[in-house]
Amino acid sequence: MRVLVIEDDADLNRQLATALTDAGYVVDKALDGEEGHYLGENSPYDAVILDLGLPVLDGVSVLEKWRRAGKKMPVLILTARDRWSDKVAGFDAGADDYVSKPFHMEEILARVRALVRRSAGQASSELSCGPVTLDTKGAKVLVDGMAIKLTSLEYRLLEYLMMHMGKVVSRTELVEHLYDQDFDRDSNTVEVFVGRLRKKLGVDVLHTIRGMGYCVQPPGNAD
Amino acid sequence: MRTNSLAFRLTVSAAVTAVVLLLAAVIILSELFEQTVQRNFDGRLRAIMDGLQVSIELAEDGSPRVQGNFADTRFQLQDSGWYWQVAPVEKGKRPAVSASLLEPPLVLPNMTAIVRDGDGYARFSLSDAAGNQLRGIEQRLKIFGSSEDYSFVVTGNFDELRDEVQAFRRALYVSLGVLGLGLLGAIFFQVRYGLQPMKLMQRKLNDIRAGKVEMLEGDFPEEMQPIADELNLLVQSNFAIIDRARMQVGNLAHALKTPISVLTNEARDHKGPLADKLVEQIGVMREQVNLYLDRARRAARAQTVGSATDVEPVLQALARTLQRINRDRGLEVLVEPFPPLKFRGERQDLEEMVGNLMDNACKWSKSKVVVRGKLLPLMGEDGRPWMLIEVDDDGPGLPPEQRATAMKRGQRLDESKPGSGLGLNIVSETAAMYGGRAELDQAELGGLRAILKLPALSGAPGVII
Repeated sequence: MRVLVIEDDADLNRQLATALTDAGYVVDKALDGEEGHYLGENSPYDAVILDLGLPVLDGVSVLEKWRRAGKKMPVLILTARDRWSDKVAGFDAGADDYVSKPFHMEEILARVRALVRRSAGQASSELSCGPVTLDTKGAKVLVDGMAIKLTSLEYRLLEYLMMHMGKVVSRTELVEHLYDQDFDRDSNTVEVFVGRLRKKLGVDVLHTIRGMGYCVQPPGNAD
Repeated sequence: MRTNSLAFRLTVSAAVTAVVLLLAAVIILSELFEQTVQRNFDGRLRAIMDGLQVSIELAEDGSPRVQGNFADTRFQLQDSGWYWQVAPVEKGKRPAVSASLLEPPLVLPNMTAIVRDGDGYARFSLSDAAGNQLRGIEQRLKIFGSSEDYSFVVTGNFDELRDEVQAFRRALYVSLGVLGLGLLGAIFFQVRYGLQPMKLMQRKLNDIRAGKVEMLEGDFPEEMQPIADELNLLVQSNFAIIDRARMQVGNLAHALKTPISVLTNEARDHKGPLADKLVEQIGVMREQVNLYLDRARRAARAQTVGSATDVEPVLQALARTLQRINRDRGLEVLVEPFPPLKFRGERQDLEEMVGNLMDNACKWSKSKVVVRGKLLPLMGEDGRPWMLIEVDDDGPGLPPEQRATAMKRGQRLDESKPGSGLGLNIVSETAAMYGGRAELDQAELGGLRAILKLPALSGAPGVII
């Protein structure tokens, strides 16, 4: 899952990035509205954390420009001014949720998790596919009720695919959403991870669609 | 009326002037009247004198004698005060006197000291043996057939005239007294009427201080308009200073929120006494920030005047936002259609009040929150209209005995729902600043109904009462 953090306070930006990285997200950072707007316009993100009081271009304008350009990623706004008029302006500009400062990091993580899930069309924090259950809150994976151990990257891969259950996800899309920008995109590592993940799951839910990508479906539903 | 006041100065100076002028008028008028009366009296005395001179002749012994009856009966009546006397200037011969004079001769003042007029008349006052105040005239003439001068004297009883003068004086005192009282009343009225614009200005300044109006409006007299203009500028610059100060407090408080977030997060990542101390102190800072923001908000409200806010767009915007915030729960936030309504106050205050009530309703409702506004049919005590905004939810509601507690500061009836617990209390306080109030009741949907009573402008859009 790839998240963009736009916050002009360098320390807060770093803390948000660190916490999100620790929670298994791939994080891009921007310190002003213009840079943030550029990143959001040109890279696919699963969620954006957007401070409203930004230099160069303010948060509401950034958000409005994205929405006008047809960008639909979920946006969580951060605001110091806890007024209803700010919230109304933020939501009218196209925000999906808001958190007022000062906040606790757990709050942000929970909101981002919910936003990502919701934008993927998943109502519950638990994603199930046949015998496989993925708990986005606890970052745990169960197969037939038994917990299995996954690396962070394996978990992110499975989470992304299960969020988009039944849809074919291309390798490029996976790379974009799972890796940092400096990742070598020609590498075959995605295939390696998919293979490892299949072995660890031990059930037939992760399918390869030749020439198109991967798809998570309950066993027996594959074409 | 205080002694150190314009009204006092104006009233006293005008009153003193009026009294002095009135007293002078009394003196002059009574003096003039007395003189006129005396002149008339003297005229009558001269007529008698003329009669006397025509009727006088000399007896064989050379003493004067009156022929016939030339004067009226008062000269027969003893001690009447009306006397005549003809006596030779040189002593020795008997004078002729009127029958009324019992003990001749008349005791005259020293005639040489009296200035005679062009006709040779001397005028003087005297008293007779009976104690009557007399006025007399004297002329010296030669009687036909004699070579020496005779002194002709006619006197009249001046006491009769004195009564007349007294009566005139009494009438004068009464009429001038009435005039004086009338003048004092007029002065009092004039001062009050003249100083009324000052009172008006004072009342308006009071209103400004009370936050009812923002500037001195109204038609002031030419002399006061520049003062009103200057005061307006002063008031405006005062507002501007307060605004700036408040904005800076707000900016400072908001600016501190980001570093507080940073410090909180940093401290929570570390363990140890330093981190604990930091967390504790950050908590204090957070409270201070909230306290001062709260104060700045309150100060801002104290002077909101003259603004009007369309109610429906505010409710719609809040409903839209809250529906989005709560979309995971599939809440429906509905604004029932109502005729155009204007809130007599700041948009931000309306947003905060209704926003908090709606937010609260959303937290508790199961599926639906309904908001509506309506104009109250009855005018308030100040003759201005009021409106109600009702926020209904279909949640569990509150038993009547808990509804009052829910409005108290910091009171939270259920700690399980998020929120500082200040929401309802702030609504209540803000409504009170506008003279309105917030109440809780039972909603038809089954949950709680929050009712906000607020001052309104007339229902028709664009019409300001």
